[in-house]
Amino acid sequence: MTAGLSLHGVHLTRGAVTALRGVDLVVDRGELLVVLGPSGAGKSSLLRAIAGLDPVTGGTVKIGGRDVTGLRPGQRNVSMVFQSYSLLPHLTVADNIAFGHRIRGADRRAAAARAAQAAATVGCQDLLTRRPHQLSGGERQRVALARVLVREPDVFLLDEPLANLDAGLRTRMRTEIRAVHDRLGATTVYVTHDQSEAMALGDRIAVLRDGRIEQVDTPDEVWHRPRTRHVASFVGAPGMNLLPGDGPLRLPGVQASAVELGVRPEHVRLGGDGTTRDGPPGDVERVEVLGEDALVHVRLGGHALIARVPARTRPAPGDRVTVGVAEEHLHAFDLVTGERIPLPAGAGRAAAR
Amino acid sequence: MKRTVALLSLLTMFTATAVTAGCGADADPAADTVSLLVAGTPDELAAYRTLAAEYEKASPGATVALIEASSAKDLMTRVSTSIAGNAAPDLFLINYRTFGQFATKGALAPMTARLAASGSLHDKDFYPQAMGAFRWRGEQMCLPQNISSLAVYYNRSLFTKYQVPEPVAGWHWNDMVAVAQALTRDANGRTVRAGEPETAGTPVAVHGLGITPELIRLAPLIWSNGGDIVDDPNAPTRLTLDTPQARQVLQDFLELPKIGVVPSDVEMETQDHEARFAAGKLAMFVSSRRVTTAFRAITGFEWDVAPLPQYQSPANILHSDAYCMTKASSHQDAAWRFLEYALSDPGAALMARTGRTVPSRTSVATSPAFLSPGTSPARSQIFLDTIPTLRAVPTISTWPEIEDATGKVLENAFFHGDPLDKVIADLDTATRAVFQRGTAAR
Amino acid sequence: MSRDRRQLLLMLTPYLVGLVVLVLLPAAATMAMAFTETDLIAGSRLVGWDNFVELTGDPAVRAAVGNSLSYLAVSVPLRLVLAVGLALLLHRRARAVGTARAAVLLPGAVPELAYGLLWLWLLNPIQGPVNQLLMLGGQGGRTMFGSLPPQWLTDPEDARAGIVLMSLFTIGETFVIVLTARLALPPEAYELAELEGAHAGQVLRRVTLPLLAPVLTVLVVRDTLLSLQASFVPTLVVTNGGPPPYATTYLSLVLYQDAFEYLRYGYAAAVAALMLALTAVAVLIQWRLLRRWASRGLVGGQARLPGN
Repeated sequence: MTAGLSLHGVHLTRGAVTALRGVDLVVDRGELLVVLGPSGAGKSSLLRAIAGLDPVTGGTVKIGGRDVTGLRPGQRNVSMVFQSYSLLPHLTVADNIAFGHRIRGADRRAAAARAAQAAATVGCQDLLTRRPHQLSGGERQRVALARVLVREPDVFLLDEPLANLDAGLRTRMRTEIRAVHDRLGATTVYVTHDQSEAMALGDRIAVLRDGRIEQVDTPDEVWHRPRTRHVASFVGAPGMNLLPGDGPLRLPGVQASAVELGVRPEHVRLGGDGTTRDGPPGDVERVEVLGEDALVHVRLGGHALIARVPARTRPAPGDRVTVGVAEEHLHAFDLVTGERIPLPAGAGRAAAR
Repeated sequence: MKRTVALLSLLTMFTATAVTAGCGADADPAADTVSLLVAGTPDELAAYRTLAAEYEKASPGATVALIEASSAKDLMTRVSTSIAGNAAPDLFLINYRTFGQFATKGALAPMTARLAASGSLHDKDFYPQAMGAFRWRGEQMCLPQNISSLAVYYNRSLFTKYQVPEPVAGWHWNDMVAVAQALTRDANGRTVRAGEPETAGTPVAVHGLGITPELIRLAPLIWSNGGDIVDDPNAPTRLTLDTPQARQVLQDFLELPKIGVVPSDVEMETQDHEARFAAGKLAMFVSSRRVTTAFRAITGFEWDVAPLPQYQSPANILHSDAYCMTKASSHQDAAWRFLEYALSDPGAALMARTGRTVPSRTSVATSPAFLSPGTSPARSQIFLDTIPTLRAVPTISTWPEIEDATGKVLENAFFHGDPLDKVIADLDTATRAVFQRGTAAR
Repeated sequence: MSRDRRQLLLMLTPYLVGLVVLVLLPAAATMAMAFTETDLIAGSRLVGWDNFVELTGDPAVRAAVGNSLSYLAVSVPLRLVLAVGLALLLHRRARAVGTARAAVLLPGAVPELAYGLLWLWLLNPIQGPVNQLLMLGGQGGRTMFGSLPPQWLTDPEDARAGIVLMSLFTIGETFVIVLTARLALPPEAYELAELEGAHAGQVLRRVTLPLLAPVLTVLVVRDTLLSLQASFVPTLVVTNGGPPPYATTYLSLVLYQDAFEYLRYGYAAAVAALMLALTAVAVLIQWRLLRRWASRGLVGGQARLPGN
């Protein structure tokens, strides 16, 4: 089976800025791949390279097995939703949705029928006669989605489509996007900087940093087995705690001075008054309560560490606590390359110095 | 920029007020300051500047504030707006053809009494033809500065080259046309005659005659033929170009382009008559004295002036400008003192030496200051000889409009060959209402 | 009155005072003057509607109304098309674009009078560069197209064309406004069209022009308001209203001659009133047309620029 979309060694340089430095990526047909990364990582550049809006300076882009590297955007059969301004202000919703069809020469009536159908798919069939400035933010993005759905492109590209919406709407819309995707089964690349959106939406997540892909895996894999320290620290809210290998936490079987150890805040257990033998003692500096959970900032042997604990068992600032981490929850990364070091089976528990 | 100017002038005004207030009434230093509004070409304006400077030298303490307008029309605008704005100049120089509207509206201070009382200026010092043009209801409204008329400027070198006799006094219009035909030549010096097959399409290098199709060019010819341009010169109500005398002149005049002796409209737009003559490409040019200054710069050929040709009797048209004093002026005594200088022998001689005017003062007109032996034109005397035959256009407030309206019709007729009856009818329709308004305004 | 409104009024006051003293009062005085006979030398006299009655029969005014309207109908659209064309051509960064933009702006920076005198030379029928250029490669005094060269200053049609031609080079202001508006258009709109494979013509028709429409609407109205007066200096300097009788006599020139050359200020005020009325009618017609088009969605009357 040919891939829905594949990129090989794609480089993209714009002026003095190198946005992509050798990206290899394969998206299966019908897959929803989320590209996740901090701002400036090259996420949008990646989409624009796929769409052909920015010509790549190296590598190849294939869509459905067809090499489109040299083709203009209009010849690639892709559709794109932009972060903002996906709609033309002078056209009604119906005309906006039908825009692509009209450009491609469809007659007015046929285009309108398709537009109505697409609008129904995303639930904005009541808005057809309105103009963009009469719509709310959510309605606008709904219409923008309808606009890409009206055609049957080989690849859907969505560039942070929910970034301008408020939190509640964002959550609702992402569920809908996922639902629409499941119904249509179209190859989709979805760019976001929001890791919870990525987790919730993606069949797989590609974590992008500095123009390179650090990891492409299912959300589970990305969460449980981050390939690099950057992926580890970027994914999660907050991200993984990273401490030197010869610091307060130790992991037998690895060379302590050559690694960094990571533990997710969710896996840090705080105990008692710091006198038990459960782990090294630390001082509680600050506590943030997030409803059910609380984030506890602990100073542990000169290092900062965050633990996520149930809010009702949280310590108070100034308390002395023991910090316990199960060994299976420790991740080790090479201090030089930042790459994950596979752990030897049956390693012991972390112990106090 | 504009604001700065406005602020500055405001400041100047305040300062002036303060100074005046501080000095008291009996020792007003501005009492001998005269403002004079003039229009003209750069060399005319330079001549007025010299005149003002000489006056200030001759009468210590007196100053002349010269206000320079860019054209005669601009001057009209400035006079009327400054009168309305209570800032009228003390003196201004104006052509008698446009003086009517100021005289009839009572904007001018009559000079009869001052002239009678003057120790240095007398009525008899000036040509009566010029004085008469500025008289209104028995009062001398303005004092003429010059008394010009139409003459034929001719390229003497061309006449010599093609052995054409130079024009003499009393020559007929037809003589002039014949000379013009003889001097209309192509680049190889062969005569070009419109309508003759052998020279058809040959570009003309030298045209025989330059004359603009205007009522004030036609008028002296019509007078010469015993006709008139209006029904009643004292109270005109319409043009009378339909008389046999006027018809003949008009027909002859409109014939000129057909026989090809005058530059076409396109050629005129390319180069006007004055420049064409100065370039040696026009054998004869009908104009007043005012082009003399410019022509004195010609070095490529010799030129002179000849009398205007005639029909039955000699006739010519008055061209005259005069110094007028505004009724609103608060320095009328000082203004008169300036006039006494400007129109005295030394003052008038100063202006005469520029060449552009024929002095209104007889003693200067007949002196070397005007006749300027040794300098072109050699036959300046013809401007004086024609004075007894001078006539003026009617004094009517709407005369400038009548000139413009007839000019449009005549220019069209001249270059596009409209039938004579249509031209005469058009001229009448274009001016009837304007005459009416002019009469009503009196 | 709220504090904000009071502040707003306070800030507007200098402008409002200027507007009233320098524009509205003189305008009102002019309208009043239209019912008088005024020469500014003697006192003025009330004449009722006489000036307006005379207007209807004045051949100069009749010709000028026709000329002014035809100038409006030809010059305004041509100027706009040219300004938009150049702005769209020069909005991208490219070599020499800065120079080209400056070149478009430059004629507008030349003082009007100097600009007129320059054209007097350019349009000189025989020695002028325009006709010299047209006659390159032509034979026997004909142009390169085999026609006789235009007689800019002596043929009525050619003279009118000359006046329009002169107006086509002073589009700097319009050009800058269109250029700025174009630069402010969101790139996404173009990328969206690019993704759909729209060709240049479709982009122009379906994206650029509709998005620029609100700006263009303002420019058309503005140019209409200005152009009745804009024809003044060229006609005064270059053609003086000719070829005779009234080939390039526009209302502004009639007004000038009546007021400042013939000292008929009252009658000239009536001409000014006529000009004002014509301008108002022209703008009203445009406004109604645009509103009708906007309601049909043909132009972006309702459109907002991005960010709103």
